[in-house]
Amino acid sequence: MTNFATADFFTDTSLIENPFPYFEYLRSQGPIARLPHRNVLAVTGYAEALEILNDPQTFSSANAATGPIPDLPFEPEGDDITEQLNAHRDEMIATGLVVAKDGKEHANHRSLMMNLFTPTRLKSNEEYMWTLADTLLDSFVDRGHCDLIAEYATPFATLVIADLLGIPENDRITFCEKLGPPPGAVGGEVDYMDAQVLGMSFLFEYFGQYLAERREQSKGDILSQFAQAKFPDGSTPSVDDLVWISAFLFGAGQDTTARLLGACLRVFCENPELQKQVRNDRSLIPAFIDEVVRYEGPVKCASRLAVKTTTVAGVEIKAGTTISLLYGACNRDPREFEAPTEIRLNRPNARKHLGFGRGVHTCAGMPLAKAEVTASLNRILDRMTDIKLSEEHHGKPGNQRFTYEPIYTLRALKNLFIEFTSVR
Amino acid sequence: MPQITVTTRSGEKHVLEAAVNQTLMEVIRDSSIDGMDAICGGCCSCATCHIYVDPDFVDQLPPVSEDEEILLDGSNHRKPEVSRLSCQIRVSDSLNGLVLQIAPED
Repeated sequence: MTNFATADFFTDTSLIENPFPYFEYLRSQGPIARLPHRNVLAVTGYAEALEILNDPQTFSSANAATGPIPDLPFEPEGDDITEQLNAHRDEMIATGLVVAKDGKEHANHRSLMMNLFTPTRLKSNEEYMWTLADTLLDSFVDRGHCDLIAEYATPFATLVIADLLGIPENDRITFCEKLGPPPGAVGGEVDYMDAQVLGMSFLFEYFGQYLAERREQSKGDILSQFAQAKFPDGSTPSVDDLVWISAFLFGAGQDTTARLLGACLRVFCENPELQKQVRNDRSLIPAFIDEVVRYEGPVKCASRLAVKTTTVAGVEIKAGTTISLLYGACNRDPREFEAPTEIRLNRPNARKHLGFGRGVHTCAGMPLAKAEVTASLNRILDRMTDIKLSEEHHGKPGNQRFTYEPIYTLRALKNLFIEFTSVR
Repeated sequence: MPQITVTTRSGEKHVLEAAVNQTLMEVIRDSSIDGMDAICGGCCSCATCHIYVDPDFVDQLPPVSEDEEILLDGSNHRKPEVSRLSCQIRVSDSLNGLVLQIAPED
């Protein structure tokens, strides 16, 4: 059994399938606990995480993509490393991504993503989502079993964002084939991690071309909105800025959404009564989704870099320390969520989980993710009854096993084999 | 810098300096005032940054968009004319002196 006191969360594959006992061990050390490796403080407390997320002046997002790996490209000196960080920022990986930006530059880039997935746009896209759900379900539903992740969730999420952005159909297949796994591989070498992030680079050429075309003529899609967009001060973003944001939207949104749908189905299978309750009252779906995000959210660990020495909850945090916000643990903090390991559809503060982050970097794709999962759950419940886990793949009840991607940033089911009765 | 006066749910008044082009939601969230969850972070997709604007300033605000209308309509605490989502209003010099109140939680 893993020795929690010495475990390295960032390399230890034994913490992948079920990280929650380890998170509870960390919580027993306090809401902010020092890890034995990599100069990291791990946050399992909800209130403490919120305090950190709401103080972006002290806690930079420069390391947001992959946290403490690779090492900082400089040796932190003193109690304020803001200038050091600014001088070395370009040497860190993935700092072109909006998630890794700070301050005014971040506000400018983020402003381009605001109002993208509003109620009216999602409503106009709803019909496409329902049709797509049926097309995918048609391909396997009669056989009575499937791998929900590979056969439904991943293609669904990819095609929805591709359609919203306006990616031509011919290119969508190429994109699906070329996109690698998300960053944060447990035990991965630094070079490999860099390659994972840079694995998105092929997108730049394509998106550069799409955006140039749309600066000439709008096509009514999100890329056209980007091509015509201005920053809040009225200045025009460079094509390069827009390419980063578009590629990020395409790359970041789909995998997390697909895995969230997988988590929802796992919870349904493990709680047949809950499955029945939601099947019979679809108005419970939004509350169910928020509870699954809280209980089994796709983002397991987000990172910040302390740029100024400070104190949170009585713990001194030295400038240069990596902060690992363990959302999976914060969302099960019993000080905030009563009976945190129960799925309660009437939890009064259910929407206040940190599964989509909070503060200036809150996930801009949250409304889209929720709309996608809502449409999917509705159609899945319409077309399948008695949804169960496949014993052949996951084992017998009481001793079931699941394979998660070996990633420390995400909680991502690699597959979910389910069996069901098809509804004709 | 324009100044805005914010009354919290518990009735405390705070005068905040607001940078031009920030949204009112950002101004309130970035201060240390409690009570503004702004769960969606300004995407116009929740109504947790709901405020009541002093009636004297209503005419100076941008019109309510269809999306904002849908979200405000879903709130149990909507008040005619003065209810707005603070993420949809950008600070300008003409809003100097704006007075607003954070609406109750839904």
